[in-house]
Amino acid sequence: MKKTFFRFAVVGTALILVLAISGCTKKPEQAKNVEVTMFQLKVEIKDAIDAYAASYSAAHPGVTVKVESLGGGGDYGGALKAKAQAGQMPDIIQIEGLGGYKIWQEYIADLSNQPWVKDTDLALKVDGKVVGFPVAIEGYGLAYNAEILAKAGIDPASLTTRAAYEKALSTLNAKKKELGINAPVAMAASVAGGMWWVAAQHNLACYWGGGLAFDDTSIIEKALKGELDDARFQQYAKYLQLLFKYADQNILLNGSYDDQVGSFAQGKTAFLHQGNWVDPNLQQLGVSFKIGYAPHAFLDTEEKGLYLFAPSWYCVNAKSPNAEAAKAFLASMAGTQEGHDYMVNKAGMIPAFKSVTLKPAGQLSQALMAANARGGNYGVFFGMLPDGAGQNLFGPIFDLFAQNQNDLPRFINDMKKAVADLPKM
Amino acid sequence: MKRSTLVNILFLAPCVFAFIMNIIIPFGFGLYYSMTDWNGVKTSANFVGMRNFAGLFSSPDFIYSFLITIFYTAINIVLVNAVSFALSLIVTSKFRFRNFLRAGFFIPYLIGGIVLGYIWQFILNNAIVAIGNSLSIGFLKSSLLGKPNTVIWIMSLVNTWQYSGYIMLIYVAAIQGIPASLMEAAEVDGAGYFSRTFKILVPMMANAFTISLFLTLTTSFKQFDMNFTLTNGGPATRFMDTPIKASQLLAMNIFNTATANRMAEAQAKAVVLFVALVLVALFQVAYNKKKEVEL
Repeated sequence: MKKTFFRFAVVGTALILVLAISGCTKKPEQAKNVEVTMFQLKVEIKDAIDAYAASYSAAHPGVTVKVESLGGGGDYGGALKAKAQAGQMPDIIQIEGLGGYKIWQEYIADLSNQPWVKDTDLALKVDGKVVGFPVAIEGYGLAYNAEILAKAGIDPASLTTRAAYEKALSTLNAKKKELGINAPVAMAASVAGGMWWVAAQHNLACYWGGGLAFDDTSIIEKALKGELDDARFQQYAKYLQLLFKYADQNILLNGSYDDQVGSFAQGKTAFLHQGNWVDPNLQQLGVSFKIGYAPHAFLDTEEKGLYLFAPSWYCVNAKSPNAEAAKAFLASMAGTQEGHDYMVNKAGMIPAFKSVTLKPAGQLSQALMAANARGGNYGVFFGMLPDGAGQNLFGPIFDLFAQNQNDLPRFINDMKKAVADLPKM
Repeated sequence: MKRSTLVNILFLAPCVFAFIMNIIIPFGFGLYYSMTDWNGVKTSANFVGMRNFAGLFSSPDFIYSFLITIFYTAINIVLVNAVSFALSLIVTSKFRFRNFLRAGFFIPYLIGGIVLGYIWQFILNNAIVAIGNSLSIGFLKSSLLGKPNTVIWIMSLVNTWQYSGYIMLIYVAAIQGIPASLMEAAEVDGAGYFSRTFKILVPMMANAFTISLFLTLTTSFKQFDMNFTLTNGGPATRFMDTPIKASQLLAMNIFNTATANRMAEAQAKAVVLFVALVLVALFQVAYNKKKEVEL
């Protein structure tokens, strides 16, 4: 009996060892075929980028580009951390600013010598080094439904000061029935709807950069030291209060992205506080009316610019053996006709490269391109804030102000306290 | 004898191995990382002692999350158990459709928390508001999820809707385990329905209460998925003169801290959640055990 048992034990151990060893030995990799993996967070361009990667792989024997997309509601940062911990760090990753750079800097390659660097103003630079490939230009103002404004007798070109907005919004509000709208503005500020970023990130960006030179970061740098510019913030808060007051209250306090964009697309609101990324949504919803962008003019003085920025950048994993192939893939995206066609026509983005001559189809994207050509636009700097500041610190403050719209001093006071806490974050 | 020890050890080994690798080691790592400044990516982590813990109990959002989680757990324990006990009484009576009802009450439990959260969000934000508007019922005209004072109650109601079918099954099993002779004897002796229920049924199924209270306590304390999809922590409210999220339970607070790349701080919060949960659960089980009757 004892013998039988030991035989079992020996055979068992041997089996485990064999399994363990065979698990460890890898097949020798074929040196010729390089597989570049890319992990990106714009789910809305998934099909376009998959198709482009496939055609690039077909045109370049020996290189296969594989793209994985996770974003929207998905936790891209968490998934990327899991990949890094598992030793499966992708060759190309996407970051959303300096905050992301600080986290991933051990991995991020220097791209200063790439051919596309001269062709763009929006590459991500750290200490004079180029580290990020701008994915696109995005931007926003206050989108308007030109038909409703025309019916109400409002000239969108006149909307360049807060006073002009006040007049236009109260006119629209008075003619609500006649125009068939629920409220003048589709604005969202709710934590519950996951829309804190519209108010606490994009609208607040007006305070950080509005009315200043495109690369003037003085206001946000002051905030990072814990100070608010009182006179300027007072004007900004009044503008925000105006938008809140004339917004569809259900959308403002509880609406989702779909509620907000949907109400504008159905002509139930005259203004929409969103960027050019809503173009595909508006197209899907069958919008046929003319749309344009008015500036977020919150100052007492005149403002005419829109807010333009590169929302994210591709970075190459410096530790990967495939880094060169990854760089070549990005360079071809920026430098070839196929790449331009992918970015503009397939993915519907506005490329950040000056050599691109194609025009995007979306009305808001066209408005942005026109503004970009005209100049005098403002920078968007919320990416310089510490991680989580928008969602956890400013988000609840804006939500609470939306609930208590008349309490302006309280809002200003809350923001003052929150900004004072910024250096500690 | 000797051989059977060896056999025992060998049979246990896979389990112990899995337990150590999946529970003990990650737990140790978790404790360690809660005392570092690790951000989730860096290859090195600096030891910072108790710094992450020290800040927690002076930050309004964490204190609020902690208190609101305890409050949510308390109403949940009462609501879920009261409802599921009532349901179990209905489906063990001589009611005609009892088997159909048993299945029906259990079905919400089979819907995942994520899906369920979105469904109820739609009902509360759109359907009920539409009803409120068309019937001109004032307090239903804006979403119940948008009011800081009601949102926790709404969450608890949704949780009760989901979870009471499951707890009901535990109660049903316990009721069926009670000898019918006992109930019949009481009936013959002239005990009414209520005295039979509360003087015989309830004491006899005390062990079912122990397990049900434990389950509702721990699941409510760790509630995340439904919280995430139904309210996302919103709306905002004011606590200690700071705007914070009114329905951000502890698990979601940890999640939001982690997604803001403050991994070590999130880990410290998770350790606090663990300790609190263990203490409360131990106390609850010890208390309930005393009430159990041996048959």
